[in-house]
Amino acid sequence: MRVVVTRSIARPGRTWQPVLLIALTVIGTAAISVWKPTALVYGVQRAGLYAAVAIPMALILGIVHIVNLAHGELMMVAAYLSYFAARLLGLDPFVSLVPVAVVMAIFGLLVYLLTVKHALKAPELNQLILTFGLAIALSQTVNLMFTSQSWKLSLGYVSASATVGDVSFGVFDFVYVAAAIALAAGLQLFLKRTRMGKAALAVGQNPRGAAIVGIDVGKTYAFVFALAVGLVGGVGSLFLAKQAIFPMVGGPYTMKSFCLVAMAGVGNIVGILYCSLALGLAESIIDGIRGYAGWSNMVFFVIIIATILVRSWRERKV
Amino acid sequence: MTKAVRRFLPVVVIAAAVVFPFMAGPYPLAVAQSVLISMALAVSWDMLLRSGQISFGIAGFFGIGAYGAALTTLKLSASPIISILLAGACSAAVAFMLGFVILRLRKVYFAITTLALAEIFQVIIHNWGDFTGGPEGIVLPSLIFNGDARSLYWLALASVLLACALSALFQRSRLRFALTAVRNNEVSARSSGIAIFSYLMIAFVTTSFLQGIIGGIHVQIYGYASPDSVFDANYTLLPLAMALLGGTYSTPGPVLGAVLLGVASEYLKLKIPYGHLVVYGIIIVLVILLLPAGLYGQYRKRVKARAAHA
Amino acid sequence: MRKAFVAIACFALIGAAAFAQGVIKLGANWPLGDVSGMECSKAAQLAVDEINKAGGVLGKQLQLVVVDDEGKGDKGVAAIEKLATVDKVDVLLGGIASGVAVAQVPIMKKYQIVTVATGAAASASVEKALGPSPGSDWYFHLHPWDYNQGQSYFEGWDAIQKKYPNVKISKIFLAYEEGAFGKSSFDASNAIFGSRYTFDGASFKSALQGGSDYSAALEAAKDFKPDLFIWAGYAQDALPLLEQSKAMKFSPPIYLGAPPAWPTDIGKSPLAEDIMLYGMWAPSINDISPISKKFSDSYVAANGTGPTSYFAALSYSAVYIIADAIKRARGTDREKLISALEATKYASPLGETITFTPSKIIKHQGIKNQKILQWQNGRQEVIWPFEVQSKPLVYPLPSWK
Repeated sequence: MRVVVTRSIARPGRTWQPVLLIALTVIGTAAISVWKPTALVYGVQRAGLYAAVAIPMALILGIVHIVNLAHGELMMVAAYLSYFAARLLGLDPFVSLVPVAVVMAIFGLLVYLLTVKHALKAPELNQLILTFGLAIALSQTVNLMFTSQSWKLSLGYVSASATVGDVSFGVFDFVYVAAAIALAAGLQLFLKRTRMGKAALAVGQNPRGAAIVGIDVGKTYAFVFALAVGLVGGVGSLFLAKQAIFPMVGGPYTMKSFCLVAMAGVGNIVGILYCSLALGLAESIIDGIRGYAGWSNMVFFVIIIATILVRSWRERKV
Repeated sequence: MTKAVRRFLPVVVIAAAVVFPFMAGPYPLAVAQSVLISMALAVSWDMLLRSGQISFGIAGFFGIGAYGAALTTLKLSASPIISILLAGACSAAVAFMLGFVILRLRKVYFAITTLALAEIFQVIIHNWGDFTGGPEGIVLPSLIFNGDARSLYWLALASVLLACALSALFQRSRLRFALTAVRNNEVSARSSGIAIFSYLMIAFVTTSFLQGIIGGIHVQIYGYASPDSVFDANYTLLPLAMALLGGTYSTPGPVLGAVLLGVASEYLKLKIPYGHLVVYGIIIVLVILLLPAGLYGQYRKRVKARAAHA
Repeated sequence: MRKAFVAIACFALIGAAAFAQGVIKLGANWPLGDVSGMECSKAAQLAVDEINKAGGVLGKQLQLVVVDDEGKGDKGVAAIEKLATVDKVDVLLGGIASGVAVAQVPIMKKYQIVTVATGAAASASVEKALGPSPGSDWYFHLHPWDYNQGQSYFEGWDAIQKKYPNVKISKIFLAYEEGAFGKSSFDASNAIFGSRYTFDGASFKSALQGGSDYSAALEAAKDFKPDLFIWAGYAQDALPLLEQSKAMKFSPPIYLGAPPAWPTDIGKSPLAEDIMLYGMWAPSINDISPISKKFSDSYVAANGTGPTSYFAALSYSAVYIIADAIKRARGTDREKLISALEATKYASPLGETITFTPSKIIKHQGIKNQKILQWQNGRQEVIWPFEVQSKPLVYPLPSWK
């Protein structure tokens, strides 16, 4: 009997046949560059944003085994903190990134200790609805305090552009790509090389076994939760630099992150990079087809379902 | 509570629900319509949950039902009741075809797939403007029963009664044992000879049929459907929350949860015009933390504990 | 005989006292969780307070009851039921979203309470559901329909090109958000502008729904080389569109935004300079219209900041229009009130006098004219109609450096 979850976590780096993937990437890139080069650029940038937001959620899902429906809202709160840092203290979002991340980590720890910790023994659905309630409370509190009015910083460098031939495109969004790669690499290092990280991995795979070996499961959960919220807080700061913020801005990103994390396979952080790349490019290409741009919303979900189905076929369930 | 009381309680509740319109004005009836629709969805979700499959796609089948009813009314001049039945049939048909492919999935993967499917349905309806009216939505020429508040309420109540009846059927028949066995341990279920796939398909098609009927009823009550309104994620998340807060794996649980959340939402809105949703979110958090088995589930535990001590 | 006289006098006195202590109830529904809805509620309450302080209407005080419709059709229906049957209001007003209004129309038709609507622009759904006179005569629509807006802008660009001969428009491109608002804007504009101009458009996913990349629509626009570029989306899209346009080096001679509201502080952004916009009200009208100034100053005094969109001014106008009509009708009798409303001539904070004239289907359409404005030095200045113009047009848009 084979179990889906163990396979993904045991070999986190290996979701695809590498050769096939590289071949597809090369062919795809060449085709897109010739036909519509900007679709490539913007697709990669979009992928970076999706991945950067999704990776912290993978931490919580993979180790604490909770679907955090308040994920996007936590990013939104961080973005608001960063906004106030910019308006009241004059701090650029890149500068306030670390302080905001630290504040969010503490906030995440508080949220964990007050609510999530007490629901750990409950069924997974309870935890899901718990975070759902948290999401409502967070977004509506922000709505109450600051209204649904859209806020945006006006930073000159987000319009930075590069010109190749006669095509100009924005380059700022590569920051998100860099952030996603940094997050993935950093977390891989953390999980594989540090003591805390290895303990976290062990807890994620087998909480009871980890407890037997002497790992403090409760403290690990708290730490991982706080870390994930801190990381998404940092992403929130970057988000503020380019995007408009409003209380409900987090919702769509929660959903997309959840889908990405499930598509990559629970526990597979590097896989999120590949998956978001595929999704970002697919969306960008369809967007560029005049008259059919509306269908790009569907592409995301079709690819996710296809991936999940193909993987399950290989596992041969039922 | 004695056994006799427990046997008669559902009858009393149903009777009270049926005569409610004679004691209440159009405003409570309008609120009740919304609550009943969410209640029926919550019960239908719980029915599938008993097989171990978590669905995040309620909104998808609800939306298909809504558009099925609306389009059959507009294009085929179907009578409202027929259109509602056709709505259920549409959803059931889609579920049947999809079931062959997706019922093999488990847990979070099944959940994500149903979520993704709901989004795909929304995008198709949104973009297929010539057939469905596109993002601006479609308007029905008139409401069912000419918008008579009492009749609309009874229609919504009928959907709840249908859901509860099917749910009770699931609980009493062989289905219950089959589904519970599948939920708890598939390997031993299969080795006991239970045809897992057939039972999952029955549960999936039935609940999708229900959700389609409810969607059809919704569009006939309000006379309007648009992709954003009928595929709204709240039609998935709120019934889920209601079922969990009320108590899963039961029929009274989702009913109680729907009453709690539905009435609380309207009441809070009137008392706290700004910020009532903050309280709403906090209520959800508190109830799930303090009553992990839900209102009804907690009550059942207490009854069992008392019986054990007796 | 004298006893009877005294008795009658007593009854008359009691009756008069009761009449004087009576209250005229106005019932409103808006999405209070949304900033525009909240501002509508506050502006309406401001108008009610002003009128009551000045003595009320026919000696009675006005009372405003607001129910949150949460932007949803079913909650909107419940709101109308509550206002009609529980609060038993004399007049209805309010509304912003078309999706809510279309769900409310069947219920409103049941009660036929005189209604002054402050929202709902989608004619294909709402106006069609209302139907022609006399079935919809109880409905007074303040907000312009989508085709009113399109027609108005058509006239506006015509007038602008005549007054400023160096402004020449032959190609128009509309980037629209893919939802109902954007699509109906595109359809209405295409129908009206397509007759004289070369018109094209592309859709994008609004940041309100989680979109972040406008490149496809902007590239299509850039290839089209329009003389007038319009985008129809939401406040969240305003600056990102500009920033991405700058990054792509897309700079049409006229760059115009048509969201229902703009983000806070956009005036401070250098990118917003000389961007044009569609609208109905802006603080610059305070310079031209004393009524607007009174409204704006009172609103700021009561709430701390000014309103962020035109809906507040519309709601304020709705209350004054209703109060004035009740005065002329000497009561809230339905038929008399409808006749009084039909004779409305209200000098509004929007800088125009509001009257009700027929539109395509219904008989009582209020505002039909929009305004074309331009961001100059961080302020929205009116360019057209020229009667309320506050600054001359700056043309063309300076190219990105």
